[in-house]
Amino acid sequence: MLQLENVTVRFGGLTAVNQVSLSVGSGDVVGLVGANGAGKTTLFNAISGLARAGGRIVFDGRDVLRSPMYQRARMGIGRTFQIPQPMHELTVRQNLTVAQRFGTGGTDMRRIDEILEFTNLSAKAGRDAATGLALSELKALEVAKALATNPKLLLLDEVLAGLETNGKRHFMNMLKQMHDTFKVGILIIEHDIETISNLCQRVAVLNFGQLIAEGTPAEVFNDPEVVKSYTGAEHA
Amino acid sequence: MKQYKLLIPALLAVYVAVPLVFGSDNYVMSLVIASLVIGGIALSWALLGNLGGMVSFGHSAFFGVGAYASAVLTMQHGVPVFLAMLLAGVAAIVSAILMLPVLRLRGPYFALAILAYAHIFRILATEWTSVTGGSAGIANIPRLPLVASIDFGSKTGNYLVILTIVLVFAAVYDMIRRSPHGLALRAMHDSDDATRVVGVNNTLLKGLMLLVSSFMCGVVGAFNVHYINFLEPDYAFSTLWVTIPIVAAIFGGYRTITGPLVGAVVVYLVDQLVVKSIIPTGHQLVLGVVLVAMIIASPDGLLALVRKFMRKNDAAA
Repeated sequence: MLQLENVTVRFGGLTAVNQVSLSVGSGDVVGLVGANGAGKTTLFNAISGLARAGGRIVFDGRDVLRSPMYQRARMGIGRTFQIPQPMHELTVRQNLTVAQRFGTGGTDMRRIDEILEFTNLSAKAGRDAATGLALSELKALEVAKALATNPKLLLLDEVLAGLETNGKRHFMNMLKQMHDTFKVGILIIEHDIETISNLCQRVAVLNFGQLIAEGTPAEVFNDPEVVKSYTGAEHA
Repeated sequence: MKQYKLLIPALLAVYVAVPLVFGSDNYVMSLVIASLVIGGIALSWALLGNLGGMVSFGHSAFFGVGAYASAVLTMQHGVPVFLAMLLAGVAAIVSAILMLPVLRLRGPYFALAILAYAHIFRILATEWTSVTGGSAGIANIPRLPLVASIDFGSKTGNYLVILTIVLVFAAVYDMIRRSPHGLALRAMHDSDDATRVVGVNNTLLKGLMLLVSSFMCGVVGAFNVHYINFLEPDYAFSTLWVTIPIVAAIFGGYRTITGPLVGAVVVYLVDQLVVKSIIPTGHQLVLGVVLVAMIIASPDGLLALVRKFMRKNDAAA
């Protein structure tokens, strides 16, 4: 479904993502890990069209490297932001209505109700997204908006960050169910190794913009180079 | 629902009661018509400014282009006045298409670029003397016609026409505001990425709004030229056609349908009837002070202030 070939993102003299090649198949759940500043979010920006990149980004057989962000969203690349970006001044339901109308070209209120229920936002549907929601609800709204566009691939950028333990557990269950219910592939950035191990079939590791390891969670988290990149120490 | 119950009596009042009560008073009718012209421009401005967050100082261009197009079409090509007014809206759209590149700009850069465009049209109107009459202008522009024994050229006829234009535009504004496109416009105001990431083509949407807005403003400009029957570049492209509607749209109420209209009527009538009689020269200064006070006291405008006051009274009762 998604193939990245030698994707590179440069900001002036800084190479934030360097020749990364990676693939995510239909229905796959792939984790993307790495220390802060490793280039994870920049890679998401490149895939979703927010950052200009070099190399090739192929989605569903089409090279989308030059496609604008809105077009990639309509093709089925959904994403969330690490810092939630709700559509301010709109209610939760209106956020989903806009996402569905522009992401899919149609309006299906039943589907929106389903998504609201799935993300536990039904009771907050009429609330103002900017002022009426707690952090966990804003994170759920990020996911709900992305789901409303009917994505084939979801890029989840640290959706669990900042949540307390129970909230994290609850959110993780929701993500697992989401994968089954909505038949959507997932590429997720997450720092918590336990979460990644529970959720993902494969893990890719970025370090200073380069892909340094890829494999099953067990393989990757025992890789000495990965441990060194995370802790700065040799594998014990 | 409550609003719709009030709609019919309100429409009857504006269509019947105003001409009955003030129809014989040319001065008051002139003021009411002028305030509706400003209300029409304020609505068209609000579509971009209040809804889309794009502060345009270029609406005088659409007003002027609409005015000139209608004047030229009726006088030089014999096009019927009402048809010419619609075509004037189309001419304003064409002028807006030339402005589309500025949609890539944001904030003050957008405002300045569109102001520069408006200035270009004023220079064109001054220099293209064979068509526009240059700085001498065009006189004897046909007034609104007589149709089915109704003299639309009379004060009352002019009032009914501009009232209808403004109400139709208000309905269009309301329809857009409630649609997913209107919601997306409101949303992109605060975060461009939040809308693009769900598939909204922000540039296209802003472009469409610019075209709709220019059409509205062009038609109002065309009406005005057949109302005053004279046109010259400094008047047609005056910054007055931008500043008063902006003041009205902000003063009346932020992102509401009635705000720009109420703002236009209140601001213009209070200025002309009250402030001007007390301070004949420099009376606009008072408007500036009132606007600043309003922004500080109620950033959401006059209507929000009235609602707040009514809620307080209800609670006290």
